[in-house]
This record gives sequence, structure tokens and C-alpha cells, in this order.
Amino acid sequence: MENIVEFKNVSRVYKVGDHEQKALDGVDLSLRGGQMTVILGPSGAGKSTLLNLLGGLDSPTSGTITVDGQDISKLSGDGLARYRAEKVGFVFQAYNLIPTLTVRENVALVSEIARDHLDPDRMLADVGLADHGRKFPSELSGGEQQRVSIARALAKNPQILLCDEPTGALDSETGVMVLKVLLRMTGQYGKTTVIVTHNQNIARIADTVVRVKNGRIQSCVTQTPESVDEVDW
Amino acid sequence: MLFRKLLRTAGKYRAQFISMIVMTALGIGVFVGFNTEWYTIERDTASLFERTGFADQRVIDASGFSHDDLEKVRNIPGVDGATLYISFNTVASDGDTVALTVTSDPDVSGFIVTSGEAYDEKNADGIWLSDRYAKENGVEEGDTLTLGYKGLNFTGRVAGLIKSGEYMICVPDPTQLMPDYSTYGYAYVSPAALRQLTGGEFYTQINVKTKLQTKEFREKIDRVFGKTMLTVSKDDTVSYAEAMGESEEGKTMGSILPVLFLAISVLTMVTTMHRLTASEKTQIGTLKALGFKDGTITAHYTSYAALIGVTGTAAGVGIGMWLGWFIMNPNGSMGTYIDMDDWSLHTPPFVWIVLLLINVFLIFIGFLSVRKMLAGTAADALRPYTPKKMRSLLIEKLPLWDKLGFGAKWNLRDNLRHKTRSAMTLFGTVGCTLLLVASFGMKDTMDAFLDTFYNNAMNYSYRINVDTEKATEEDVRSLAEKYDADTCAQASVQIDGQTSLVEIYGISHDTLRFVGDEGGYVTLSDRGAYVSRRVAEKFGVSPGGTLSFSKYGESEEYTVRIEGVLCSMSESVVMTEDYAESVGLKCPAGLLMTKADSVGPDPLIINTQSKQSIIDSFDTFLEVMYTMLVLLVGAAAVLGIVVLYNLGVMSYTERYREMAALKVLGFRDRQIGGLLISQNMWMTLIGVIIGVPAGVGVLAYLLKALASEYELDLHLGALSYVGSVALTFAVSLIVGLMISRKNKKIDMVEALKAQE
Ligand SMILES: Nc1ncnc2c1ncn2[C@@H]1O[C@H](COP(=O)(O)OP(=O)(O)OP(=O)(O)O)[C@@H](O)[C@H]1O
Ligand SMILES: [Mg+2]
Repeated sequence: MENIVEFKNVSRVYKVGDHEQKALDGVDLSLRGGQMTVILGPSGAGKSTLLNLLGGLDSPTSGTITVDGQDISKLSGDGLARYRAEKVGFVFQAYNLIPTLTVRENVALVSEIARDHLDPDRMLADVGLADHGRKFPSELSGGEQQRVSIARALAKNPQILLCDEPTGALDSETGVMVLKVLLRMTGQYGKTTVIVTHNQNIARIADTVVRVKNGRIQSCVTQTPESVDEVDW
Repeated sequence: MLFRKLLRTAGKYRAQFISMIVMTALGIGVFVGFNTEWYTIERDTASLFERTGFADQRVIDASGFSHDDLEKVRNIPGVDGATLYISFNTVASDGDTVALTVTSDPDVSGFIVTSGEAYDEKNADGIWLSDRYAKENGVEEGDTLTLGYKGLNFTGRVAGLIKSGEYMICVPDPTQLMPDYSTYGYAYVSPAALRQLTGGEFYTQINVKTKLQTKEFREKIDRVFGKTMLTVSKDDTVSYAEAMGESEEGKTMGSILPVLFLAISVLTMVTTMHRLTASEKTQIGTLKALGFKDGTITAHYTSYAALIGVTGTAAGVGIGMWLGWFIMNPNGSMGTYIDMDDWSLHTPPFVWIVLLLINVFLIFIGFLSVRKMLAGTAADALRPYTPKKMRSLLIEKLPLWDKLGFGAKWNLRDNLRHKTRSAMTLFGTVGCTLLLVASFGMKDTMDAFLDTFYNNAMNYSYRINVDTEKATEEDVRSLAEKYDADTCAQASVQIDGQTSLVEIYGISHDTLRFVGDEGGYVTLSDRGAYVSRRVAEKFGVSPGGTLSFSKYGESEEYTVRIEGVLCSMSESVVMTEDYAESVGLKCPAGLLMTKADSVGPDPLIINTQSKQSIIDSFDTFLEVMYTMLVLLVGAAAVLGIVVLYNLGVMSYTERYREMAALKVLGFRDRQIGGLLISQNMWMTLIGVIIGVPAGVGVLAYLLKALASEYELDLHLGALSYVGSVALTFAVSLIVGLMISRKNKKIDMVEALKAQE
């Protein structure tokens, strides 16, 4: 399969006073379409930075990022917004739902921006929350909120799904449940998925495992993934 | 340490702090300003009246008073001083009218000398001339002045320049709204000079200083002279009544506007203090856990309120004093109207008490907000403040709800979640529209008033004052024929013991029109008399009823049937010559109104007044009005911008994370900005819907407060409605754009990093 994502010599430098902080330092990386990639690394390694650049939340200081043949590193505010709307779905550690919109409205929201969006009710049913559509986020548990967030991200029908420590705020049991939902869904919809995590177990179901340290790619290993149910959580 | 925190927090909540200070300052500024205005008028005019011996009562008799009469009046118990007095119009060499005045006792109805020689009653050729008139006409001390009166000439030397309480508002007659010193002034001469001019001493008035009530004074005077005398109390003089009218206006302005601004300031304070303490709840808890006493923490947060209160009050007093000075200075708007020497500003003592109370109140609000956050243990206080949970709204049950776009739902729920903030936004737009409607309406009303009375009702080109002592009825008739003039006879009358004016018109050339109570012009009917609104109100008469009056100095009583009510410049009873004759009322006509292009000199004519000169005199008046209105419109814009900006920033901060989340999803900056602006626009729409009628209400209230001075009918042109609404929307849109421009700066990574 084609490489859908291509990082070429990508750096992201933060200026803190006189000091320059290299969050990413000359990263080269290719990701294949339809595959699952797991990014591992210690805290402060640059994982979130990498994901944010790929998601169009931030632009690199130097280097190019090509997604589906489009160079997103040169895009401006509106161009990036269109890219985010059409191409990527994001799931964060903090669920970032709109508290004043109901669960269903939070998912249906994407119809305002994504041309190709999917039916919100179906998405909610898929994450097992069909009955909770009229509730407000504050009336749901953390795990349920994260499932809404997954439903919302996938409802846009994006090419890439990006998850930054999606289970970080959940206890391990709930985390596993949410992960299962996430993996089942990405499998079902055949998305290119990138997950940032500290959980070594998740690495076993990935097609590719990328290790990041000090803003550099330490290793990038392609493997035969185990299925979700084989893994002993 | 805590003080440094105070300053940093103030910096963080910049927009709110500034807007609270601005609102407080504006409110206090307007409050102090207008109260200073009216109090200054009262104090400074009272001082001038006191120093120039302004008379409390005037006893008038055209046949003249003698020194014996004066003694009789002086002997009345309760009379503190009295003088023989006369004032008559003379013509200066350049055609100006100068009211020449003589008072036998300079302590009553006298003057103060602002430069030149002191008054000397033996000086037979000295003229003490109005300093304003002198300045306007380039006359200086020592100049020679010739004043003509009925073919006689008096030539004198300007001995001194003066000001007088009697002429504090120096207008030839009450139809003239503003003084015009380039054509009309006054001068005093000694009785000796009067003898030189007229060959004798002749006084038509006895002016009296007394603390007696008007009614009591009249009874005593009538008893002394053995007949009904015409007396005019100071309440009926232009100088006193108009000055008090201005003071009343100031009181009205000083009560409505400040309440609006201060209410907004206090409401902003409530919302902001709540937000501030809520967002610092954990900090409050930390301080508490660190061992700070409740009292210390309370004092710390209360000092925010004190900071705002004190800064706002200081700035407000500054603004107020400036506003007071702006209106009340010799070269300012009031200076063109009132002629005083002392313009020192005075602020009523209650103002300081109110300011103190406002500050106490603001601090109390600050205190209450922390109290709530401090309640309970340190652990309780450490738990973050949880905003109200979202609940389904009633309107969500309506089928319409599902049709709404997500933006509308987002905004509506936001409004309902933050009710105070929404209410404040509404309040701001309502206030803005209200001020605009009231200001524009005031202008429309004034314009309509001037248009009705000056441009259309006054259809003559000249008004001719005939010397009724010399001219016979036949002379007047032939003069009227010569100029195709209409005639008017005026007589002072007494109605229920109060002074009023009767005007008898002979109109056949359409030189003057009368405005009906319902607007539109009416033709006077011969079936009855007409009363102006103020007369109708004062004496409780209405069409179909009757009104009885007697001429001064006569015992005969006339009863007229009221045919209609007029909207009029003067407070008078109006009738046609024919009707007057039918009730047996006869007065010699002394006033002619003609459309002729010019009026030649004639020994029977005292003077003429052109319509243009009358119109010119109110140009200054309009200028004053318009300056005030421009200030008000400015205040409306400031109010709108400050309130909306403050709330906009508040809403922006509160929804920052949500907007970041929307941005991550792929919403463009402009879409998010559009959502914020459309919320503003909807709020503005509601604000306008409330604000327009509220503005009309305030305007109606203001007109009612002015009703004793002008018979004004509320007018509001379509343009004013459209203008007010458009301006309010413009303010709201500008603020919306200012806020939504910040969207570009939302840092998605930063915003979403933080835990909820
Ligand atoms: N806004 C910023 N300003 C300055 N430095 C930053 C900023 N954001 C991140 N960094 C730095 O960049 C480096 C990479 O940060 P990043 O958030 O990508 O780490 P991470 O691998 O996601 O860590 P974690 O596992 O803790 O989330 C860190 O050293 C961090 O201090
Ligand atoms: Mg991270």
C-alpha cells in the first residue's frame, strides 16, 4: 500500500526566552494507509508535538509534511482548518466535548464542516451510546465521554485518526474498554490510525511501532499485529 | 505579596477591570456633573440675586408711582426693602435696543459694577452699561452713548460696566429663547439722569424685597392702594424662572442618566467579581490551607472591589467636575444664556454621601462574592468551583429546536447557562438604544417645535411695537392698514389670584397661526377663547368650560367660554377681537404683525423686531442643545462599546476551550467568529426591541419634566428610529469583530493540553 503520510526532515523548535527547545529534531517518517501506528516514548520526547503537526494543529519550524499528496506544512489558517475538517479526526486525553451541546449534537456537529460525514446516530450506536444522545457530556462517565469523542472523530469520516493518550485520564479497566471500542471502530472503518500511548500492550496490535526520544525517531519497527482479542489486557 | 497578586490579577482581568472602572467613572461623572450643574446654577444665581438686590415682587402701574406710594409699601410689615423702578426700551445710535433702567434705591433691583466707577445717584450723565452688551458692541468705559426714546435723546458717558440680577437672562420678551447682546442690552442711569431725559421722575414699578408669600403680599398691597394691583413675583420673571428651569433640567438629567450607568457598573461588578472569585476558588483554598485567616483573604478580594470603586470614583469626580465646568462656564453653553459674574462650581453635599454609599456597596458586593467561595473547610475551598450543570431547556421540547443549527443551539445554551452575563449584554444594548432614541428624539422634538412655532406659525416678517400712549385706536388701525398688518392686544390679568396673560388678536392677513393641542394649525373661532396647555392645566379648564379673570387695576370680572386648547409658546388666554368684544373686554392693540419687507420710521412706533432676529436668537439655543445631544450620543456609544466588549471578552474566555475544540474539529476562524457575532446580533436585536420603547418612555418623561417651560410634543422621525437601531447594531458589530479577531490567536495545542 501507498505511503499516505510523509515527514521529511521535520523540526519543531520552541523559543523559551533566549533558549531554543527542539521538541522535534529532523524527523523522517512514513506511514502506510489503512495501518495502525503506535508511538511510544518517555515524557517530553515529542510525541504530542509529532501528532499535533500531523493533525494540523501546529506547523513545523522546518521540513515538510505530506498527507495524501498534499504538503500541509505550508498551509495557512483556513487551509489547515479545511485539512482538519476533511482529513483528520482527533481524540484527546481530555475529551474536549462541547459542554453546552448534547451528546448527539456533539457528534452531529461535524455535519457543519465535513462534506463526507457519517450518520451521527449510527456512530453513537457503534460506540454503544445510542441511548445517551439527549444527555449532556457532564452527565456521562469519563469512559462514556471518551467514546463520544471517538464517535465524533470518526463521524467526520477522516482519512487519519489521531489519538493522543486516549486512555490517559481513565482507570485501566475503563481504558481497556475504550481502547477496544477504538480498535474495533478503526478496524471496521479501515482508517489510518496513529495512537500515542504509554501502554506497551497496545504496541502488540500495531502494524508499526515508532519509538521517539529527545525529539528524534529512535526506531520504527513494522510487525505482524496480534488481534485485539489475543492480547492479554 | 498579596498586593502584588492583586495587581497581577487586575492585569489578567484587564478588560473587566477597565470596563468596570469606566462604567463607574461615567456613572459617577454624569451624576456629579449634572448635580454640580444645577446646584451651581442655584448657588451662583442666588449669589448674584443677593448682591444685586433682585426683587421678590414687582408692583406695576402704568400710570406711575410716587415717593409717597413707595413709603406706603416700605411700611408694610414684612417688606425688607423697596424701590421705585422703571425700565423702558431706548434705541441706541446703531439701532440696538437698550433697556434703560432706573432704580431709586440701588439696594433693590440694582447691579454690581464689574469695572469702572461705582454707582453715584447724583451723577446725571453717567451710564452703567451691561458689560456683555458693551463687549459685544465694542463700547468701552468713558465712551459717549446716545439713547433715544420717543423722539427724546439722552447722551451720557459710560461710567461703569455692570451685571444685574434683573437682567441675568437678558431677553426682550419671553418668545426670544436666547439673549442676543449684539442687538439687545440694558443700562442703568441715576434718577437725576432720568429727570434730564424726561423732565421728571416717573416710575411704573415698585420693586420689593420681601419674604412674604405672594398671596399675602398681594392682599397687603391691594389694601394699601385700595384696589387690585398688578404684581409680578420673581417666579414669573424670565431671569428667575428660566434659571430655575435650567436647574430643574439638571436635576432630571442628574437622576435618570447616572442611574443607568451606575446600574450597569454595579451589574458588571457583580458578574466579574463572581467570575474572578470563582476562577480563583482553588487559589482561595490554597491561601486558606497555607494558613491565611479568612479575614485576610476576604480583605484581599474585597480590596479588588475597593480598587475599582476608588479609581472609578476618582475618575468620575474628575469627569463630573469637567462636565460641570463644561456646561457652567462663562464661555460655555450656559454662559451664552445666563449672565453672571461668579461661575464657581458647587456640588451638593448629598452627592458626596451618595458616592460614599456607592463605594460601600461595591465593596460589599466584593465581600459577598468571596464569602461564598470561602465557606466551609479549606478542603471544600480547594475543590474547584463547579459551574451549573447543563439541563435540558423547555424550548428543546419544541419541534422547532431540532431545526436550529448547532451554532444557534450553542449560543442559546450559553446564554441560558450564563444568565447574568446575557442579562448584562441586554442591559448594555438596551441602554445604548435608549440613549440614542432619547437623544435623537429630543432633537426631532426640538426641531419640530421650532419648525412649528418659528418657521410656520410666525408668518410675519416684522413685529411692530406701537406706542399705545400716543397712538389712538384710529392711528393703530391706519398703521395696520398701511402695512397690511394683523393686530394683537395684550393685557395682564388675574385668574384665581394668579398672574396670566390675555392676548386679543385681529387676524385677517395670516401673519400668525395658532397650533392646536393635537398639532396642526387652528383658525380662531369667534365663539370662545382659547387657552394654552399650561393655562388649561394650571386652572383645570377644558373646552366647553368657562374661565373668569379680571384685568389688573380693575374690579370688573370677565367670563369666557373655552373653545379650545392651544399649544403655545406663551402661557396665555387667546381670543379674537370679536369674541373679546362680545364679553365686553376692550384693550388697545399695541402689537402689529406684518409681512411687509421693511417698516419705515414712525413717531408712533417704539421699535420693530424682524422675524430673522428672533430666529437668530434661538440658533445659540440650538447649539447648546445639540452639544448636549452629541455628548449623550457619545456616552451611548461608550456605554455600548464598554459593556459589550467587557462581556464579549468574558464570554470569549469562558468559551476558549470550546472554541479551541471547534477549531481542532476543522471549524474556520471566520465560522467561529460568525457564531460569536451572531450571538451578539441576536442579543442586540432583543436589546433594540426593548430599548426603542424604553427610549421613547424616557423621552416622554423628560418632556414632561420640561412641560412647565415648553409645550413640547414628542416627535420621533423614522430616520431617528433607523439611526438609533443602526448605531446600536454598528456598535455591537464593531465589538463583535474586535472580539472575534482574537480567534486567530487561539492556541489549540495549549488550550487542549489542560485538563478539564
Ligand atoms: N509550548 C511549548 N513551549 C516550549 N516548549 C514546549 C512547548 N510544548 C512542548 N514543549 C517542549 O517540547 C518537548 C516535547 O513535548 P511534547 O508535548 O511533544 O512531549 P510528549 O512526548 O508528548 O510528552 P508526554 O508524554 O509527557 O505528553 C518537551 O520537552 C516540552 O517541554
Ligand atoms: Mg504528550
